[in-house]
Amino acid sequence: MPDLPAVAIERLSKSFNGIEVLRDVDLTVNRGEVVSILGSSGSGKSTLLRCINWLEQPDRGAIRIGGQRIGVDDNGRRMPARELAALRAKTGMVFQSFNLWPHLTVLHNVTEAPIHVKGVAKKEAVRTARELLDKVGMAHKMEAYPYTLSGGQKQRVAIARALAMSPEVILFDEPTSALDPELVGEVLGVMKDLSAEGYTMVVVTHEMEFARAVSDQVVFLDKGIIIERAAPEQFFTAPETERVRKFLELKQ
Amino acid sequence: MTEWDIIWAARDDFLYGFANTLVIFALSALLAFVLGCVIVYLLEGPKSGPRTLLRWLINIMRTLPFLILAYLLYYGLPTLGVRLDAWTAGVGALIVYHGAYFAELLRGARVVLPGGTVEAARAYGFTTFTMFMRIILPQLLIRTRPLIGNQLVICLKDTAFLTIITVQELTAAANSVQSTYFIPLEAFVVVIALYWLISICLEVTIKQLGRFGKKRGFEHA
Amino acid sequence: MNAQTWWLLLEGAWTTAWISGVAIAIGVVAGLAIALVRMARIPVIDQVLVIYISLARATPLVTLVLFIFLVAPTFGIVMNRNIAGIMALTLNTAAFNAEIWRAAFLSFSREQKEAALACGMTNGVIFRRIMLPQMFTTSLPGLVNEMSFLIKGSPAIAVIGIVDLTRVTNRISAVTYEPLPPILAAAALYMIIISMLLKLQDMAEKKANRLTM
Repeated sequence: MPDLPAVAIERLSKSFNGIEVLRDVDLTVNRGEVVSILGSSGSGKSTLLRCINWLEQPDRGAIRIGGQRIGVDDNGRRMPARELAALRAKTGMVFQSFNLWPHLTVLHNVTEAPIHVKGVAKKEAVRTARELLDKVGMAHKMEAYPYTLSGGQKQRVAIARALAMSPEVILFDEPTSALDPELVGEVLGVMKDLSAEGYTMVVVTHEMEFARAVSDQVVFLDKGIIIERAAPEQFFTAPETERVRKFLELKQ
Repeated sequence: MTEWDIIWAARDDFLYGFANTLVIFALSALLAFVLGCVIVYLLEGPKSGPRTLLRWLINIMRTLPFLILAYLLYYGLPTLGVRLDAWTAGVGALIVYHGAYFAELLRGARVVLPGGTVEAARAYGFTTFTMFMRIILPQLLIRTRPLIGNQLVICLKDTAFLTIITVQELTAAANSVQSTYFIPLEAFVVVIALYWLISICLEVTIKQLGRFGKKRGFEHA
Repeated sequence: MNAQTWWLLLEGAWTTAWISGVAIAIGVVAGLAIALVRMARIPVIDQVLVIYISLARATPLVTLVLFIFLVAPTFGIVMNRNIAGIMALTLNTAAFNAEIWRAAFLSFSREQKEAALACGMTNGVIFRRIMLPQMFTTSLPGLVNEMSFLIKGSPAIAVIGIVDLTRVTNRISAVTYEPLPPILAAAALYMIIISMLLKLQDMAEKKANRLTM
């Protein structure tokens, strides 16, 4: 099914305690595409990302990963936990606060899910992990424990961990927001390489230059609604709405 | 013949009691620990009737003396048609009682476990069981290590209560030797030294296990 | 269970309560005294106290009660059961309390002491007016926790024939031939007493948390 989009979101809505954080959001992410989700804090962009792998359960709407509906079936029945887990395994996620498993070495952080979720043979998982850690420039820290790493190093390991699942799509939830300014570059560098290699990525970020250089599509969320979507050049040079113009001015 | 010669002559009594105490302790501590882990696993997930009930059972154990539970199993259960011998009732009581305490101390650590590592596991498609065994439980054990050590020593000491329901363990051995030969001082010195020995071994072992956590940056001290 | 058995049960509860109460009272003060002596780091005495604490923490209460009750006569001391029970409980709880007090000492911040010295207070005044009140607050949750442990351990005194709340259930069932009701009733009484202590510990913890800024 090569034609099915990696992620298809239809009319997604979500409220917390009666406050609507997402309203009728539609979004399609094609294979190999990089989509950046921008917006000021509280605009619902992280919630949107976390709905994609059902860490948050939307109130209405449908999400399909590679054509397969996540969370509930078309009749609205809850998906069995095991099936949900299997579908989540097809996505990778990189968190703002890294969320590496502190009791495991860097290598085991990367091999853990492939071995124990996907059932990959240990030898093969280790071989893949070595390659991926090499790709993100962390091969020299394979035996280290997470607490010894800098934020940028942790996030690069987290990216290798996501790649190890050979995901259909990688979700980045503000991956550089918790980093010291001088460490942001190393993480964005790795992400740029990934986009060049054709990975499908959905990125929630505040890094405008990155979004401009790497995205195929930029989406702007405001109060839970997508008010603008465009190719990056157009978005950054000729925004249609006053709201986006203001936002970009502030980010200059 | 000095008092110590008598003690030496009665060494088989002490050894039998010591071995029995060791077996009772090892068996009940191990099973109580497993029970505690199982309970904490069952408590994973949103609030529900059975989970509230489980929390209640833990809290009841926390307000009861161990001996009352042993009484309940040994003297009380026969009324309901279940007759256990003293040894089985005693070990059963130790498992249930300390299982609840292990569960409580692991639950305490679970509540304050940073949510991110669990969320990452969920996002990577771990099932609840695999996630508990591979991501949650190891972190809980590393974080509760000193408390587990304390609880083990308490469990060891609680085995002595079983002498009251006629189990022939270490303290019972001292009591029977002293009443036969009238040498309470020597008999109890030997037995207290043996308890001390076991608890020091436990403490050293638990301390050694701290290296796991230290290597992983869990212990700041 | 009739009125008479309830009365017996309450007598048992009273025995548990007063013996534990006396042991708690002496144990808290003795624990403080031991902690103070340890802070002075007097050679030999310090080592002796370390061994005492380690031994007391490792010795089961049942064993300790028997030891005291049976060994005293060999030294020509006539030992009353209740006193043997109180001594055993006290020796045990004082060791734990000493560690709780000491932890409170060790966590006392150097800055506060310096601030007090800068105000011109003498060491004695600092101890009485600044350290002790705070130490009491920080120690209280641990001390109350230890009190509930003591009550949970108190049935050990039954082994030398004291008729406490646990032992009394044997007495009652020897007459009624129904062991279950008195055991359940005793369990309920323990639950009430220890629940109150746990509640108190909760309150003490909240108060102590206000000290740590």
